[in-house]
Amino acid sequence: MIKQYTTQALAQLRQHPIISAVSIIGTALAIFLIMLVVMMQQVKTAPFAPESNRDRFLHVHYMSISNKNWKGNGGQSNGPMSERTIKELFQSLKTPEAVTIYTCMPIATPVSLPGKAATAVDLLETDDIFWRVFDFSFIDGKPYDKATFDAAQPVAVITESVARILFGTTEGVAGKEFLLNHAPYRVAGVVKDVSTLANTCYGQVWIPYTSTGQDKNAWNDGHMGMMSCTILARSRDDFDAIRQESLNRFETYNQLVGEDGYNFIHRNRPYDQEKQAISFSANQEPDLEGNRRSRLMTFLILLIVPAINLSSMTQSRLRQRVSEIGVRRAFGCNRMELMGQILMENMVVTLLAGALGLVMSVIFAHLGNELLFAQAFSNTLNPPAVDVNILIHASTFGWALLFCFILNLLSTGLPAWIASRTNIVTALSGRLH
Amino acid sequence: MNKKLLAQIKNEWRTNLWLGIELLLVSVVMWWIIDNLYCIGATYFEPRGFNVDHCYLIEMGHLTEKSPDFQEKPYQEKMDDILELVNRLRQRPEIEAVSLSQNSYPYNGSNSWTSIRLVGDTLEAGGILILRNVSPDFVKVFRYEGANGETPEQLAEMLERGEMIASDNVFTYAYKRPLPMTNYVGRRFYWQNDTTFSLQLGASMKVVRYSDFQAARTSRSILLKRTMWAEDAELCVRVRADQDVDFIERLKADSEKQLRIGNIYISNIRSFKDIRRNYQQFQYNGVRDAITMVIFLLVNIFLGLLGTFWFRTQQRKSEIALHKAHGATNSMVFTRLLSEGWLLLLIITPLALIIDFNLAYAELNARLNGVYLEWDRLLICGAISFGLIALMIAIGIGIPAQKAMKIDPADALHNE
Repeated sequence: MIKQYTTQALAQLRQHPIISAVSIIGTALAIFLIMLVVMMQQVKTAPFAPESNRDRFLHVHYMSISNKNWKGNGGQSNGPMSERTIKELFQSLKTPEAVTIYTCMPIATPVSLPGKAATAVDLLETDDIFWRVFDFSFIDGKPYDKATFDAAQPVAVITESVARILFGTTEGVAGKEFLLNHAPYRVAGVVKDVSTLANTCYGQVWIPYTSTGQDKNAWNDGHMGMMSCTILARSRDDFDAIRQESLNRFETYNQLVGEDGYNFIHRNRPYDQEKQAISFSANQEPDLEGNRRSRLMTFLILLIVPAINLSSMTQSRLRQRVSEIGVRRAFGCNRMELMGQILMENMVVTLLAGALGLVMSVIFAHLGNELLFAQAFSNTLNPPAVDVNILIHASTFGWALLFCFILNLLSTGLPAWIASRTNIVTALSGRLH
Repeated sequence: MNKKLLAQIKNEWRTNLWLGIELLLVSVVMWWIIDNLYCIGATYFEPRGFNVDHCYLIEMGHLTEKSPDFQEKPYQEKMDDILELVNRLRQRPEIEAVSLSQNSYPYNGSNSWTSIRLVGDTLEAGGILILRNVSPDFVKVFRYEGANGETPEQLAEMLERGEMIASDNVFTYAYKRPLPMTNYVGRRFYWQNDTTFSLQLGASMKVVRYSDFQAARTSRSILLKRTMWAEDAELCVRVRADQDVDFIERLKADSEKQLRIGNIYISNIRSFKDIRRNYQQFQYNGVRDAITMVIFLLVNIFLGLLGTFWFRTQQRKSEIALHKAHGATNSMVFTRLLSEGWLLLLIITPLALIIDFNLAYAELNARLNGVYLEWDRLLICGAISFGLIALMIAIGIGIPAQKAMKIDPADALHNE
């Protein structure tokens, strides 16, 4: 059956080269753009190393606090938190598997060997739990552990490129010393480079934040500081329980800090990966529904406009085959079968063009990564590197197939329905209408 | 002629219905996107009120006790080190001006806010009234200008004297009527609801926009001199116009030997070009998406008309031949086919405009200075969208029409 559809579809494509080209280009272009939108979203939310657990992440990037004595400034302070606040509000939760604390953004920081010129690289300060929450691939050495972290030892995990900048090699680097911010640090481990698209854990050098005294860097009476945190849930099913537990914890803690007039503002934190991806300002909750709605609108336009085009062309084609339809109907083919057949024939073309569009989108994503995945409000100048693991997931093909199916249904459904309802006698006489 | 064309369009109403629906949908979506881009563009090209060409941010680092060179120092000495760094930078020949500031440099998401009240009056302003805590040279680095034509140098002198400078629209925005701050120059203002402390308004400055995508109308700020600085202060420099080349490398090369003072060192240097790009990437992405969508719609119009008219010219081969046999020139055949498409667009345009109007009336389109529905904007954007689609129709029909007009009447009629 499938073979027959394919033969028929290919024969038709050859019959009207221009129309076929127009149909294929139209379909491929639509799938191409749709898949770019899908990929732009996937790099923000789909799991890839070292953020393979994105499905289980809940983020608290910023916090908001008010004080009844603050009059100006809208009476609020919005931004990253102090270590103490995270420990009290989130690390105390029982449901999560782990909660890691790190500085809210990578900061360009000079690294060098003594007496040599310094290079500014992106530094993230973290705790030891960080290495359990994110799955970095170590090619040398190992991450710093709790004892090292608690002892505030000056050790660092660096990427391959930083190892190359500093030591000219990536092998046997662990244990060597270098200067970070003019202070001596020892290399604990070397990891593969991380794409800036892994925007929670991205960095080029990671050090224990205790080693710089970041744990004591705080203001607003020690409530706010430079830290953010990511909660790793045991499973997505725990999200509601964690949110509820967090809410309860907020209430208790607010009573305590309320004695000094403070009040932490919840804004429905923590956010999952999808919500965090559109959370840019600390003083408002991101509009996830609005974001999804506008993406849906984009998909609709990308589907409907070409579908109308293709419909018109499918109908013109079917008009030329009207006598064939009449013969089939006369020999006992029922309407559903006929409609199914037209849909399937077109599906072959749609899939062909869809595959073309998908390939084009992957190629374009590789070549145009700086244009396509340019990150909003990023603090680094490094471009968003992409590779196959980041761009292509099983779901990518699923989405492509789904959109091909919808596009086919939209573009062929109506003409096929009209064709299948043609009266046999008029059809045999060669008129569709 | 037109009557005949209309009759023809009516005769092929089935395919024309598809085309019409497509043109209508595309016209509306296209208008919506063009309207959006128009609003973004209108804001983007307003005067910025500052200039970041040749400007750099110098990030300071400070040694910790982990470093062998660390020296324990009291606060005052730390600040002196910072001021000494500013001094040394100022002496470099390639540097024109150096400033320190807090939450103040352009394209910087962190803000301080304040509120003011006119002494002896009820006029006040607050809310998102941005406070720029700066050293006086800040206005020279970013070339702020007074509303009455004061130069950056004059503004710097006022700041030096401890006077505040407010953007001209502070009261205008707060009271939604023209109350330019130039009217209040020399008057005193209570600072943040404190009736025991007031400041004199030195000058009103031209509105400094918050970013390239925020309108001047909503950007209000106040400049005030600050004298206390720590390592987290923003250190900004403007280099002379011809000194941009390799400036970062040259400064970095000297930074270890000449620009390390006490615990303070230069940790990174970024040009404002990069800072601006990073800060506005979100909006740039929006513009990129909108333009991609416009291109997508246009390509679809092109493909749709190309496909449809390819069929049509084939079907009408004999008709066109007959037409030519009766004396029609090539260009007459060409124009006739083109007019068919344009006429169709013309027929649906009033419909599209009605939908556009309703969308704007329902405030579902972009907003410019707080307004959704403006007649001139509606018509301009409608016209641009009409023009673009008409152009695509011309190209889409042009290709098959080109082929059609070359039909040899004798051949075609003979085949018939």
